[in-house]
Amino acid sequence: MPNEDKLKAGHKKTEAGKRLSKLMINDYTRLHQKAKEGAFVVWIAIVVPAELFSGFENVVYGVPESHAAMSAGKGVGPLQCEKAEAMGYSMDLCSYARIDLGTAFDGGKDSPTFGLPKPHLLISDNNNCSLLVKWFDIYHRAWDVPHFILDIPFCYEQQTARDLNYISSQYRDLIRTIETLSGQKFNIDRVREALEHTKGALTNWKRFLKTAVSRPAGLTVFDSFVQMAPFLTSRGTKALAEHYRLLADETEENVAKGIFPVPNEKYRLLWDNIAPWHQLNKMSSRLASLNANLIAASYTYCMGSLEGEFDLYPYDGGDPLTYLARIQNFSICPHGLELRYQAMQRAIETLGIDGVIFASNRSCKVYSLMQMDMLKRVTERLGIPSVMIDVDHADIRKYSEESVFTRIEALLEVIDAKRGAQTPRKNSNPI
Amino acid sequence: MRITAVQIAPDITLKLCPFSTKLSVLNYLDRSPAGTDDDCRVNNRYNMKNINNDMKDNKAKGRKVIGCFPLYPPLELFHSLGLVPVTLWGLKDSIPTTGKSDRHLQPYTCSVARHLTEFLLSENGAALDGLFMYNACDTLRNLPEIINCGLADTGRSLPIFKIHIPMVPREQTESRAYLRARIKMLIDELEEAYQVTFSIEKFRQSVSLYREMRKLCKALETLVANGRMSYNEFSRIIRDGWFIPAEDQLLVLQKILQDRPLSKREHVPSAVQSRIVVSGILPPPLHMIQAFENAGLTFVGNDIASQNRALFYTPAMVDDPADYYVDFYNHHYPCTTLLYTADRRMAAIRELILSTRAQGVVFIGEKFCEFEYFEIPHLEKTLKDMGVPTLFLEVSIDDNEYSEAYVTRIETFAELIGSANQGGRYAE
Repeated sequence: MPNEDKLKAGHKKTEAGKRLSKLMINDYTRLHQKAKEGAFVVWIAIVVPAELFSGFENVVYGVPESHAAMSAGKGVGPLQCEKAEAMGYSMDLCSYARIDLGTAFDGGKDSPTFGLPKPHLLISDNNNCSLLVKWFDIYHRAWDVPHFILDIPFCYEQQTARDLNYISSQYRDLIRTIETLSGQKFNIDRVREALEHTKGALTNWKRFLKTAVSRPAGLTVFDSFVQMAPFLTSRGTKALAEHYRLLADETEENVAKGIFPVPNEKYRLLWDNIAPWHQLNKMSSRLASLNANLIAASYTYCMGSLEGEFDLYPYDGGDPLTYLARIQNFSICPHGLELRYQAMQRAIETLGIDGVIFASNRSCKVYSLMQMDMLKRVTERLGIPSVMIDVDHADIRKYSEESVFTRIEALLEVIDAKRGAQTPRKNSNPI
Repeated sequence: MRITAVQIAPDITLKLCPFSTKLSVLNYLDRSPAGTDDDCRVNNRYNMKNINNDMKDNKAKGRKVIGCFPLYPPLELFHSLGLVPVTLWGLKDSIPTTGKSDRHLQPYTCSVARHLTEFLLSENGAALDGLFMYNACDTLRNLPEIINCGLADTGRSLPIFKIHIPMVPREQTESRAYLRARIKMLIDELEEAYQVTFSIEKFRQSVSLYREMRKLCKALETLVANGRMSYNEFSRIIRDGWFIPAEDQLLVLQKILQDRPLSKREHVPSAVQSRIVVSGILPPPLHMIQAFENAGLTFVGNDIASQNRALFYTPAMVDDPADYYVDFYNHHYPCTTLLYTADRRMAAIRELILSTRAQGVVFIGEKFCEFEYFEIPHLEKTLKDMGVPTLFLEVSIDDNEYSEAYVTRIETFAELIGSANQGGRYAE
């Protein structure tokens, strides 16, 4: 059994963590309050460019996926899933969807945020996940709420000008739709202003992630998992930009002071998939007890980057719709294998990754289905030991801690063996 | 039997060479159309072997065979360019295991994708000269590069042509120009890859051919509804049709309908006792269909993606293939995978039930097909409110064998429909 001191290491509540809680509480409180006061409410998929809503006087948005992740993190995932399953929704469906359906059709009961206020408009997209469209269709039918679908071509290679124009034309349709439904006028200058905040937020987000370069790393990936939440709920706000600035400052200061989340870091690992929301504390503590630190994740390093890239693609002050269309595919799921590999290779080389954990996620096929070939490629081309584990991002009933850690421990042994083969035995600890 | 040219429609005279492989037509026609279910089981396997031979035969003749991912590829376009399009679904019978696919895809991938991948990575795939796919679903959109990795392992490679079909309702977003551009680009790519030239005349001929073929498929469905053909046989004929040149399929269909002609009044299903409609991506496995038919249920219509959904609609001819496909996709029969058709789906199923006077609906859930799963609770509830009983059966990759559990559920469903029918509960 790992000793107690080591179990306490890993993901800890920092000052930034405390600020995050306040920010999230404010976001949800404000959402409910504004909705109650008559704001136009939209529900969006996570990669719908929320800066667009800043262009309206009184439009607020809820993000069902983000709410589902929070529900899973707070331990009510299975409860909400079971409600959806009782309504006939298959257990093989994405657990985010089941949590959301269970929450929404039970009036927000058992939700950490009392659910989301009912929408006037649903906006899905099919680049991150086509299933979002089917999921939102359920509310569209049940509540007779209009459903706007953003149709975004998948990227096997970098986005073409034709696709960019097609996407930005759909933003114009969306703006017209909201104007018509809400009776509010759209102001592009407000979006420009929001994008400046986004630029600030993402610049500091990348600065925060860069603290993983230090040895030991200045963060664990669990920090980045939880800290990405307000990017989904407060995108384009000054509060978010300020929060990420303080987060990056604090993390850099900790590195300077020699304060590290895993002080005896021996294994620097990369995570590929959505966070296992129900396991954040447990997994980070147990990894820390093994002197292993997950220091990066494809799920979080993609924020602010173009497809296949690792660095920030900042807003340049130009046409807001063009920038948003270009960055529309920032998340991993709309990327082909070659692009995913390119970005992961950059991450591995930049951060000095020792091993990769491919989390095969039953609830997210679109993220997971390339992983077997990615694993092969990373192992063979880059010589980085890798392992595949089975998870479900929000349904703990489909997760087995012991079988996962058996595989992770095997990965650490392979890393040791590789080091042993590369260096004399007496220098077996290179970190 | 020697066929060289056949008048298949008032405006089409079909020349078998070089398009026809003959082999597939003759193989089908030599078989007893009224085989037992055991015969069907044997023939299914035998037939897939022939299909593989057909593809190899095409290749040997210098014909380019393009394997199309499901669900609704632009078949007429490929055909008009002198290519032989084969749609790669319903491959289960030709693939005993998925060993090669399992090295690339997790076990929670649907059987359509796993069989498709296995097929392409096996020796069968060597008969193909290219692949075509579009954004049919999240799983299929991830496959091209995975397949390339698998092919590279065996020292092979295939050109893969990809297009994005807009998934938005036209009243929301003007996507026609985008689709037109993608179709034109596809034509350019195909012309370059295979050194062929697009001709609007040939395209018109291909459209006529496919229109006639789809019409005859619908006629065949009437035979099933009237109890003159088993649904198993129908499913096999339609499945085989995806793998043979359209000319050959047309001959097969014509011969069958010649042997079992439809009288005019048969176009309306006769009063069989228990009529059901089946819905799903693929038809149920043979043993399951057999259980339905043994229970006295007749398949009077289908909402199956590889059958009615794919065969329902052919646009009117226009002077531009891009316009043709704008129409084709915009007015396609509703399918869970065509995201913009969701609002039309329930109406289409209601119409199917009314036109066939079906008394029950069976949903065949393809394991891990989330597109289907998301809609089933809504459809079941709506149908229940209409007084139409439903049955949901899930089929997974290894459901090849007879299962007593299915039989019991099917028999209970048949009894439910039968008792409701006696009580006159369901309006005609």
